[in-house]
Amino acid sequence: MSEEIGGEVVPDSTRELNIDGELDIMIEDLDLWYGTKQALYGVSLPIARNSVTALIGPSGCGKSTLLRTINRMNDLIPICKYEGTITKGDVVITDKGADLVELRKSIGMVFQRPNPFPKSIYDNVGYGVRLHHQPTRDELDAIVEKSLKRAAIWNEVADRLHDLGTSLSGGQQQRLCIARTIAIEPDVILMDEPCSALDPIATAAIEELILELKKDFTVVIVTHSMSQAARVSDYTGFMYLGRMVEFNKTEKIFSEPDQELTQRYITGRFG
Amino acid sequence: MKKDIDLLKKRNRKRRDLMERAGSTGLALSGFIGLMFLSVLVWQIAVPTFIEGETGQIEPASEFIPVSEYVLKWDHPTVDDDGALIGDPVVLELTWDDGGTERTHSIAVTVTSERNLREDIVINASGVSTEAVEVGKKTKFYIQSSLEVPVDIHQASGPVPAADETGSPTVSSFVISADVSVVVDDGRFVSHPLTMVAWLMLVFVVALLSFPMPAVLSAMEALLNRQAAVRYTLYGLAAGTLALAGFTLEAWLGAGCWTMSAVGINRTLQGMERLKSQGRDVTQFDRLKHSITNREGVLMWSRMLLVFSTLFIPLLIDVPFLTERYQDIFQPYASGIRSAFFGTIWVMGIAMVVSMPVSIGAAIYLEEYAAPTKTTKLIQALVTNLAGVPSIVFGMFGLAIFVKQGGIGLGLGPSILAAGLTMGVMAMPIIVLASQEALRSVPTSLRESAYGVGCTQWQVTRDHVLPSAMPGIMTGSILAMSRIMGEAAPLVVVGAAALVLFDPEPLAGLLGGNKGFTVIPIQIYFWTSEPEHAWHSMAAAASITLILLLAAMNSVAIVLRQHFRKRLNS
Repeated sequence: MSEEIGGEVVPDSTRELNIDGELDIMIEDLDLWYGTKQALYGVSLPIARNSVTALIGPSGCGKSTLLRTINRMNDLIPICKYEGTITKGDVVITDKGADLVELRKSIGMVFQRPNPFPKSIYDNVGYGVRLHHQPTRDELDAIVEKSLKRAAIWNEVADRLHDLGTSLSGGQQQRLCIARTIAIEPDVILMDEPCSALDPIATAAIEELILELKKDFTVVIVTHSMSQAARVSDYTGFMYLGRMVEFNKTEKIFSEPDQELTQRYITGRFG
Repeated sequence: MKKDIDLLKKRNRKRRDLMERAGSTGLALSGFIGLMFLSVLVWQIAVPTFIEGETGQIEPASEFIPVSEYVLKWDHPTVDDDGALIGDPVVLELTWDDGGTERTHSIAVTVTSERNLREDIVINASGVSTEAVEVGKKTKFYIQSSLEVPVDIHQASGPVPAADETGSPTVSSFVISADVSVVVDDGRFVSHPLTMVAWLMLVFVVALLSFPMPAVLSAMEALLNRQAAVRYTLYGLAAGTLALAGFTLEAWLGAGCWTMSAVGINRTLQGMERLKSQGRDVTQFDRLKHSITNREGVLMWSRMLLVFSTLFIPLLIDVPFLTERYQDIFQPYASGIRSAFFGTIWVMGIAMVVSMPVSIGAAIYLEEYAAPTKTTKLIQALVTNLAGVPSIVFGMFGLAIFVKQGGIGLGLGPSILAAGLTMGVMAMPIIVLASQEALRSVPTSLRESAYGVGCTQWQVTRDHVLPSAMPGIMTGSILAMSRIMGEAAPLVVVGAAALVLFDPEPLAGLLGGNKGFTVIPIQIYFWTSEPEHAWHSMAAAASITLILLLAAMNSVAIVLRQHFRKRLNS
């Protein structure tokens, strides 16, 4: 049931995966290797619809890897191999023949460092929409405006839509990336430490935004900030050395975690 | 307490200061020496050719034309622009003593409005080669005699002043510094007026997009309701330019200028409309520029087109040395590099068309698509080595594959097409390597963000990776083109000619026709090997032309790089 690694007793990935709401995505027994190095060990995780699921854990524990497997971004790394299943409704995401374009359309992603396209703000948001649908100019105008408004950045960029997206500040760029993601109306938004490159004010803005987005989207967020996880998420998964040590409702994890390891991590007495 | 580290720090600081001084002094010194060297070089070449002008005596009678030659110059044309005769044609009467009997021959000379005709008259034992001759307005006209007796020339009829009957004319100044036409030349426009207006229009559009004045913008406000009319007028003018000026390169560029202007003005008007609908002041450019769709892009293309058309729509200057005169084997100072200039442009053009798509494609394949197998590694190693192969070897390759008939040879003969293909092959490895480098430097985060919105691999490559790698790819390609532009060695092998008295025919290798061609480096090479000093000046002039062409190409590379860099890093 558990393994001792480097003087630390690490339990196997937990099977206690209870959620209240409707299930959106289910990850089951995911093993993942980079070359010969195993990065995930039998990880399972349910993701509830219209909720925020946070993944916490020390650096290198496989949070980002797990997140990137959900929209198969790991396929871009040639040496990455995995076993296990991820399902979203009827669709088996991990299936070899899965339609990656459809998949990434319905599961958007926001990255650690803001990475807007080197195009105008308008094109940044409009690009994905243009790619998948053929909107008229007016329709696209409306979608761009709506997306920017939902990402709470419209007021700042309304009169400079044709400036380069890269000319914005870091926090604005990250919200632009969120606007770009929600413009194609995915079901799920994956966020990989979206606030790690931002100052507290921009972080607060993004966190507020995440709570807002929860109404329409399912959000999975990887974060290093305990307080952020506590503030924004409904469910929290604690990972350690490639194992899902504990998964539960956020209040439960932060008030009375089952595992001693979790307890020590969230209180900062670790290692 | 004195710390050990303090001692180290002090010693270290001294050494650092010494290195700093030595390094910067050395750099400054070497830079200074380099600049001095360059200035001396430029001075040596430029002063005699451009500033002081050069005088020279042209000796009559070379080995194979033993007696004399005559130069005749008219100030007045004998026909007007429509080809109607003004006054009588000039009739020259040539008389000479043919072993006791006097022989007479008359030649009617018409000066037409054509600019580049050249027909010289040769007198030999069997008589005179022709009875009537048409010559261009700006070209001189030569009579060459291979008789052993003097030939008398006088004008029998026609407008006066008639002829300058000197056997040894003096040339007062060097050709490049003389004879430059500005806009109007001999009462005719240098280019078709419509292309010139198109060029001016593009200048206006570039100014409009870069720093427009409120007055101009408020004047344009009146056009807001007539956007379609403005657009179709400009498109109409583009079509009109093509129809009226003929389908020449100049006309195409003119049409391009109109179209680009239409795009620029239209985008500006759309931006103004957008601002107006937000209830803002449209004459404030600070605000307007954020509202113009892809202003940077339109500006870049406009600028590039402007630079290009300035080269080919000779609105400002028309240099006969480049575009009018062929080589004149008897008169260095009356020679030009017309055939070499167009030869270079064609060779470059063909090389570019052939090598760029293939090489960029290969680079994309190797970087983005190919799995890192042993085969791709081998190909990679071969390409890298190919970039270092001496150019003469590519010449041999071109000779075997493109020039020769039979075996694997395509049998194009020593033609422009063969030369262009050879040069294209030579440029390929350089472009592949530069493009690969550029593609490799595109950040992974950009690729990820593109995949993140659901792009396919081709969409990622086309919409994101390629545009970001463009500055590197363009710079690499243009540098490769600059390199092959200055190459003479491969073309010596492929068979460039020393003397070409006609414009190169780019497709002669395939369709038949005159295959002979030359390029500027070859021309320089042959001119420098002439014994007469005057040819060396011509070679210097041709060198300067080559350097200016390279500078122009490199400036285009810089403009491109700056534009894309601004896009990526701002």
